[in-house]
This record gives sequence, structure tokens and C-alpha cells, in this order.
Amino acid sequence: MTLQEQIRSNRLRSTIVVLGFALLLLLLAGLVGLVLDLSLGVAALVFALLYAGFALARSRSMVASMTHAREPDPGELRPLRRVLENVSIAAGLPVTPELRVVEDPAPNAFAAGLRPERSYVGVTTGLLETMPKRELEAVLAHEVAHIRNRDTYLMTMAVVFAGVIVLIADLGFRALAYGGRSRKSGALVAVLAIVGFILAPYAALLLRMSLSRRRELLADAGAAEILNDPEAMALALRRLELDMTTVRYADASTAHLWVESPTERVDSSRGGMLEFASWFNTHPPTRTRIAALEEAGGFRLPERLSSDAPFAAELADD
Amino acid sequence: MTWLWIALGVVALLVVLLVLGYNRLVRLRNEVDTGWANIDVQLKRRADLIPNLVEAVRAYAAHERGVFEEVTRARAALQQAASPGPAAEANEGLTAALGRLFAVAEAYPELRASENFLRLQEDLTDTEDKISAARRYYNATVMRFNTAIQSIPWLLVAAPFGFRARDFFSAQGDTEVPEVSFAVADPGP
Repeated sequence: MTLQEQIRSNRLRSTIVVLGFALLLLLLAGLVGLVLDLSLGVAALVFALLYAGFALARSRSMVASMTHAREPDPGELRPLRRVLENVSIAAGLPVTPELRVVEDPAPNAFAAGLRPERSYVGVTTGLLETMPKRELEAVLAHEVAHIRNRDTYLMTMAVVFAGVIVLIADLGFRALAYGGRSRKSGALVAVLAIVGFILAPYAALLLRMSLSRRRELLADAGAAEILNDPEAMALALRRLELDMTTVRYADASTAHLWVESPTERVDSSRGGMLEFASWFNTHPPTRTRIAALEEAGGFRLPERLSSDAPFAAELADD
Repeated sequence: MTWLWIALGVVALLVVLLVLGYNRLVRLRNEVDTGWANIDVQLKRRADLIPNLVEAVRAYAAHERGVFEEVTRARAALQQAASPGPAAEANEGLTAALGRLFAVAEAYPELRASENFLRLQEDLTDTEDKISAARRYYNATVMRFNTAIQSIPWLLVAAPFGFRARDFFSAQGDTEVPEVSFAVADPGP
């Protein structure tokens, strides 16, 4: 598949995912309408759509605040901006994404935004302090590849809809458990509804996670192609793998955004329906990702990390 | 009667394939054009930096007229080059001329220390990096397009509709390693 074809297949997948979520939503609303009250079902549906629309419209700033990313001053970090510009040009992006910085010692990076023209790439200060230029370039290329492949769009959609479904299922479950049934439906329907309310969030989550893992491999390959240097991406991954620190402001809701899973095992301590979220990883194992790059590029990664100076040294000169 | 329907079906299928094939080639060609536009922007930016640079050096080394003329000529050649092949040649020419200009500049410590000169030099390096980035993208799109129009079945659409192979952005005698594709095998959904 060429990259343009990947982008198109991604768009198709996005449509399918959105349809899948829509179906799930309809099903849930139908269940609510069936066992509780028809008007409640309609209300749940309307509320879900309003919520999803609002969340999509606000997703850009929401991600920024959830990750604690700040916008650097225009004169600040010029060498870093240049690397990002060059990577974007090499990727054929119409516009260079904006740069955001997260003050965090854990090396990591993420991309966000619904459209390529209005996207941004966030890097942690820890990334600048650990990565030499070649590997930093690879990480930025990985994020730019996400933007180019429309992964950020797809994943934002998935996250928002998964969230809505969890919410509705939770409400339905509670209403049923505490409020009792207002309509005289059979016991079988009630049992079905309870099962539905419990299973729907998992269906949503599974849909979301399986998407996310595939996207990571594609973005790695994209980064290798953008730089014409698959080894750089593999080296960066190895360095990230060896790093044990985790990002402070990252949890299950934003884990899929980062280049490497930002929490050691994404453990969702939000309780209730999401207790098993750690079974569903957002990222394939780093070893698998490195192996895929080695195979595509026809090289073996050296055992030791390079001792090149981290990029932060170049920033200090400026 | 049945044969007629089969024949009609085959014709309809061929028409659909033709339309799909044509659209794909148009899409690939548009990517090539975008890729070239990206290079062109950076080449223009590079050419625009030259007069200021020449002025900056002239302020300290007015008598080095030969080098200035050479750089100015190389810049004019770059501005006149309209297609990828010649533009790549002219770009190489400008790089060579600039090399001599910077060699001259080496002899003037005050020039090398001047804020203006340093900034220009930095901008120039940046532009060169961007040219090579844009070239990577452009050459990849050309590779895709050329491969498509030379292989069956696209060839059958390309020839009658006048899709011609495009030039890479590379100077003659350029010994760069050819671009490699790192497409991941699709593991399915």
C-alpha cells in the first residue's frame, strides 16, 4: 500500500468505526427506551450526539489541557521548530503542525488535532534531554506520520464515541438498578438490557484499542520512509523502551496519543466499567515495533545506545 | 441474447476499471505536482537570500569581484530553471559558487563574527535542509507515479491519456542511494 492508499483506507476505517459506534449507540438508546421509557431513550440519544459534537469541537484544547502542554513563545526553541518543519516538508504535509511542550522528565511525544492543517505535535522536555538529534527527528516524524495518515482524526473520533457509550451505558445501568422499570417489559428484556449495558463499553474499548495498535506500526513505517532512515526510528524506540519514567499527566484517556505508551501499563483507576482497561493495550510491544523496522530496513539494531549529545545541548547554544 | 448481456457486462466493467485507473493516475500526478511546488518554494527562498549574503560579504571584501559575479550568475541560472532536472543542476551550481563565497569569507574574521552574516548563514543552511527534505518527498512521489504508469494494468490507461514519466529532482552524476520504500505488510484489520 502506498501512503496515499493508507490514508484512504484510514478514512474508510474511520467511517466504519463511526458507523460501528453509531450502531452501538442506537442499540443502547433502544435498550434504554425499551426497558425504561421511550422518551428517555430518545433523550439519551440526543444527549449523546450533543456531547460528541461538543467534545469533537473542543478536542484540540481538551487534549492540550489534559496533557498539560503549553505553547512555547515564537522565538523559543527555534532549532526544534526547524526539525519539525523539515520533517513536515519531507512528509508532504500542507502545513507544519504547531509545537507544544510538556514539562515532564519522561521522554515522550504526541500528536493531536482533527485536521492536518490544524494539528499540533507535543514533546516532553524529557525527550529533548535524552534524545540525540537523529532520534528526535525520528520521533517527530512518527508524530507527523500520525497526522498525515489521519490517525489523530480517527483516534479522536474513537475516543469521543467510546466515552459517550460508556456514559450512556453507565446511566442506563444505574437507572435500571436504582430506578426500577417504569414500563412493563418482560424479565428477559431487562436481563438483556443489563448485559447490553455491561458489554457495550467493552465493545467500544476493544474497537478503539485494536485501531490504536495498528496505527502505531503504520506510523513507525511512515517515519522510516519520511526520513529514509528506519534505523533512527528503531534507535529511538530502543531508547524509549529502556527509559523507565512515566508521564505524569497521562492516563487511559490520552494514552493512545503518545509515541510510546506513557504509563507502564495503562491502568485505569476510574473504577466501575473500565476496571479491565489494562488488558487492552494501546501500543504493540516495543520489541515488536523494532523487529518490524529491522525487517523492513534490513538491519540489526546495535546492542548499545549511541552516546551522541542530546538535542537539548543544541537548544542551549541558540 | 445471453451473449449480448455478457458482452455488455464486460464493457461496463472495463469502463469502470478505466475510470478508476484514470482517477488513480490523476491523483498520483497531482501529488507529484504538489511535491514539485514544495521544492520550488524552497529554491526561491534560497535564491532570495543570495543578494543579502553577497552584500554582507561585499561590505568586508569588496575586491573579490569574481566570486560575487559567479554567485550572482549561479543565482540567475537557478531562477531561470523551470523543470526539476535543470533546477537540480542549477541548485548544485549555486552550492558550488556559495562554497567559494564562504571560503572567501573565511579570511575575514570580522565578517564571520557579524550578526547579520551569521543569521544569513543559518537561514541558508536551514533552506538547504528544507530543500533536501522537499526533495525526498518529491522523489518519492515521482517514483510512485512513474512506477504506476509503467506497470500493467495502469500502462493501458496511461499511454492513451498521455501520462508521461516525470523527472527526479537530481543533478546528473548524482550518486545518491535510491529511495527505499518501507511499506508495512498489511496484517489485516
